[in-house]
Amino acid sequence: MEKTRKRSRSARPHRIWCALGDLKPRAFALLLDWASWGYVAYGVIYLLNHYWYKVHVNYYGTLTVPSWGWLPIVLGTFELAVLGQAAGQSLGLSLFGLKLLTTARDYPRPAARLGRFLWWHVSALSFPIQSVRLVQGKSLLHDGMSGTCMFALKEVKQDIPVRKPRRWYFSFRGLVGIGLIAFTFWVGWLTTKIDLGMLFGRASRSVYLWKDLVRPSFEHFATIDPRVGDTFWGATILGGLIQSIYMALLATLLGGVIALPLSFLGARNIMGFNALGWIVYTVTRAFFNVFRSIESILWGVVFAVWVGFGAFAGVLALTIHTIAALGKLYSEQVESIDPGPLEAIAATGARRWQVVLYGVVPQVVPSFLAFSLYRWDINVRMSTVIALVGGGGIGQILFYYKNAVGLIKNSWNQVGAVVVCIVVVVWALDYISARVRERIT
Amino acid sequence: MEERYYAGFMKKRPQFMSSLLETRKRVTVFLVDVVAILYVWLTASYCLTMLFLHGEGVAGLPWWAIIVAVEATALWENLGVSIGMKLLRVRLVAKDSGSPTLVRRLVRFLVWHVSGLPLIGILAMSGGLAWHDRASGLRVVRSEEVSRVRRPLYAQSWFIAVALLVLASIATAMLVTGVNFRAFFSGAGKTARIWAAFLRPDWSILGDGIRLLLVTIFMAFMATFFGVVLAVPLSFAAARNLTGGWIGRPVYFLVRTTMSIIRSIEPIIWAIIFIVWIKVGAFPGVLALFVHSVADLTKLYSERLESIDPGPVEAIRATGATQLQVILHGIVPQIVNPFLSFTLYRWDINVRMATIIGIVGGGGIGERLYQYTSLWSWSKAGTMMLLIMLTVWVMDYGSARLRERLS
Amino acid sequence: MDDLLVVEHLTKVYARGDVLALDDVSFSVKRGEFLVVIGLSGSGKSTLLRCINRLIEPTAGRVLFDGIDVTTASAKELREVRRQMAMIFQQFNLVKRSSVLTNVLSGRLGYISPWLTAAHRFPRSDIQAALANLERVGIPEQAYKRADELSGGQQQRVGIARALMQGPQLLMADEPVASLDPATANSIFRYLEEINHQEGVTVLCSLHFLSLARRYGTRILALKDGKIVFEGLPVEIDEIRFKEIYGEDAEEVEIR
Repeated sequence: MEKTRKRSRSARPHRIWCALGDLKPRAFALLLDWASWGYVAYGVIYLLNHYWYKVHVNYYGTLTVPSWGWLPIVLGTFELAVLGQAAGQSLGLSLFGLKLLTTARDYPRPAARLGRFLWWHVSALSFPIQSVRLVQGKSLLHDGMSGTCMFALKEVKQDIPVRKPRRWYFSFRGLVGIGLIAFTFWVGWLTTKIDLGMLFGRASRSVYLWKDLVRPSFEHFATIDPRVGDTFWGATILGGLIQSIYMALLATLLGGVIALPLSFLGARNIMGFNALGWIVYTVTRAFFNVFRSIESILWGVVFAVWVGFGAFAGVLALTIHTIAALGKLYSEQVESIDPGPLEAIAATGARRWQVVLYGVVPQVVPSFLAFSLYRWDINVRMSTVIALVGGGGIGQILFYYKNAVGLIKNSWNQVGAVVVCIVVVVWALDYISARVRERIT
Repeated sequence: MEERYYAGFMKKRPQFMSSLLETRKRVTVFLVDVVAILYVWLTASYCLTMLFLHGEGVAGLPWWAIIVAVEATALWENLGVSIGMKLLRVRLVAKDSGSPTLVRRLVRFLVWHVSGLPLIGILAMSGGLAWHDRASGLRVVRSEEVSRVRRPLYAQSWFIAVALLVLASIATAMLVTGVNFRAFFSGAGKTARIWAAFLRPDWSILGDGIRLLLVTIFMAFMATFFGVVLAVPLSFAAARNLTGGWIGRPVYFLVRTTMSIIRSIEPIIWAIIFIVWIKVGAFPGVLALFVHSVADLTKLYSERLESIDPGPVEAIRATGATQLQVILHGIVPQIVNPFLSFTLYRWDINVRMATIIGIVGGGGIGERLYQYTSLWSWSKAGTMMLLIMLTVWVMDYGSARLRERLS
Repeated sequence: MDDLLVVEHLTKVYARGDVLALDDVSFSVKRGEFLVVIGLSGSGKSTLLRCINRLIEPTAGRVLFDGIDVTTASAKELREVRRQMAMIFQQFNLVKRSSVLTNVLSGRLGYISPWLTAAHRFPRSDIQAALANLERVGIPEQAYKRADELSGGQQQRVGIARALMQGPQLLMADEPVASLDPATANSIFRYLEEINHQEGVTVLCSLHFLSLARRYGTRILALKDGKIVFEGLPVEIDEIRFKEIYGEDAEEVEIR
């Protein structure tokens, strides 16, 4: 490893005690490292199970853990995480923008790194004393004793000595990255039980499926099929399509209307800088994140219980997800507006809400419309399948015919017809919404 | 769109071509307006009959509706600004730059019946002017952004039409989807118990849940991995600026169309197809997500490829490099970051989809969650939901940070 | 009172990074003056102007406008004071997607009843005044265009028209011509001079071109690292003073 020393400053303090500054990135970096080593441990145990213990893990079984039990694994991964950080090669450090250097801003020698690793344990065991030192503003034990410190990369970038760069795929990080991906691929292949033999072996048996799918039968396109239901909306393909589109429309409108005021509450530059505003901002943002993580279908079950099966439940389910998704998109847009015009309007003596109405709103209206259209598109797609859990729409017919395979003569043909119609509608809407969005922005 | 194509292809537009362009635009405006009027009529009549006749709404129009709609459109377009005119940005002005008077507008309307309706007038367009244009001295032009005094918003007829459209749609939507406020409020008590149970998760199944969650994440990983591997080469075939010639064009259209079709079918529907093919499990779920990912990624990648900067590509080609070298050194460096960004975006979506694809039997945590909700074990369902929420949130945050870094 | 604006011991410290933007700045501005503040980028000119109308909160010091203490004013009083102080900006700060007319009318927001402005209904007299102001700055035909369709010089003129709508006693200009070419810069300053002479509006302007300051200013204030290093007439700036203000390596470049 060739080190060319280039110091950019002539005078530098010899010993800078390690300013504690941001404990948060350091803690998160350690947690992230621990989690990634834990993941590697899981993968290794899984592979052990598969190849060594020859246990085929299915949903209803559990992983057989090596005889020492869980505790050594937990501790071992944690140790590895700390070791990795001391060695300077760690995912957490790079992602959080930290770098381990000596207090003189140079790369630490291996002895210093080892010392840091060992002293870290002393720090951890004497945890209360360390907290006192924290409050007093002194550096932590393992920092001070080893003469190293975790710096924020941004601040020290110019000072560190330059290393000769190698090709990215030969660097340590590159190799580790490729290794991790290959490892995940291997474990993933086994976990999801990919079996190409089954895929191609059963191809001949499922030819009937494909033959029927591509010969759609539009028997019940506009005429009610009494087996499925008795309303136009629920028992015909056309009715189902119209119902799905209206479901999506209603959900998007309702969701957008509710998300609009919420988005201002979730925008950092509007909420002001007092304590109350910050609390409201955090709560709103948390609300958006939480409800965005659960797909609409899962809410469909809850709403099917609430208002009964049918399209109304589907609308409500879609609305909840839409509020969160649009709220997040809207508030991100509000946060990225140009603050100049706001300044100007405030300088004329206008009230706060006037600044919002005349400065913020004109800047965000086109993007809001574009996002809403995008969301409507997605909602239409979702509404085609939300019948699975009791929402209405065209999924009703689709799933009825799919479940009736074997009982009804030409069910796959009917399924094919429904799929064709879905494709046409979704494709058309996609195209139209893309064109309109182009125009707006 | 046409302008772009013609501008590069032909320097001077022949007379016939330009009048065809105008015709197409004017016909489109007309059709948009007729459809809008018919739609409002249809939905309004449906709503009124549903509300006041208490029964099956009559979802149909009398045979003479289309005549009325056509007449109304013609009147609307001539006397004011219609929705179609506003959307496609055309305007009616007087030949000798004054404001079109009421008399002229009526003349145009009347002559239109002779020349516009039977299409004779359109085909007889020379220089972009039909008979009703000549007779009234009014012209249809592209409207620039507003350059005269604006009347108040509510006085503009297209705005009223849009408002009517929106209202009619909302009313119809509420009737079609069976919005039932009584059920909403009476069911609130029931669901309060459900929400309360969600907030008291049953921790005994946590181990199970974590294991299923890992399966779900692996499903998403495999689908994304294979999706990327297949989508990258396909996207080169689906990029208009990279495919040309007599073999390139058909390939381009084929790939583009196939991917659009596959993309329009939700992964869940693909899952039920694959489950019939292969037994229930995580594998068909992976296949379903994979198929959809390839289509979506191909679209995103190819759109990005179509908007690369041709400069560096040209420069490298000029040094005498082979085609492969041009791609590797001219195109690839430009697209690596956006491609990674799209891949992360797709990974996000796949994780979410993977959580629900279990509902149809695609494996992962969705299956168990659906089981619990069908059995009304809301506490256990709450645990699963909590796990899903946490995972998706962390993945979202991580990929957002990474994407920030990439751009 | 002869002094329209009195600034006493104004200090601004940015807590993050310990940056001292303004260091004990004190000066006063008489009515009708054309005061130009010069200095290098980062010397605190923009911060000074923004502290005067409290777009930025000063850390210490006092600002008296027409006898009213701006630094301790309540929100309502602050709004009333801001009505009297108009501001034009280096980046023009127009709402790009709104029409020019709406941008100019937004100068009256502090004067009109909130209900009317919520519905975008401005009084007829205001609309006429806006059109008259646009004519005054020479761009009456651009009234209904979108603000971002105009050139830089035209946009700054819209900013001036917006400032005029407030009928202010003080017009503050934060490097109004930094993004414009020399000819356009001159024309903008001619408008400012006109407003200063005809309406008697006091102008407080920050610049980094000394030539414009010499030509239009009645008094010059120079800032360096947040402190006042020179206060006096334009003719008093000789080469020594110039190097004091701008630093050892600076040389004066004439821009005609």
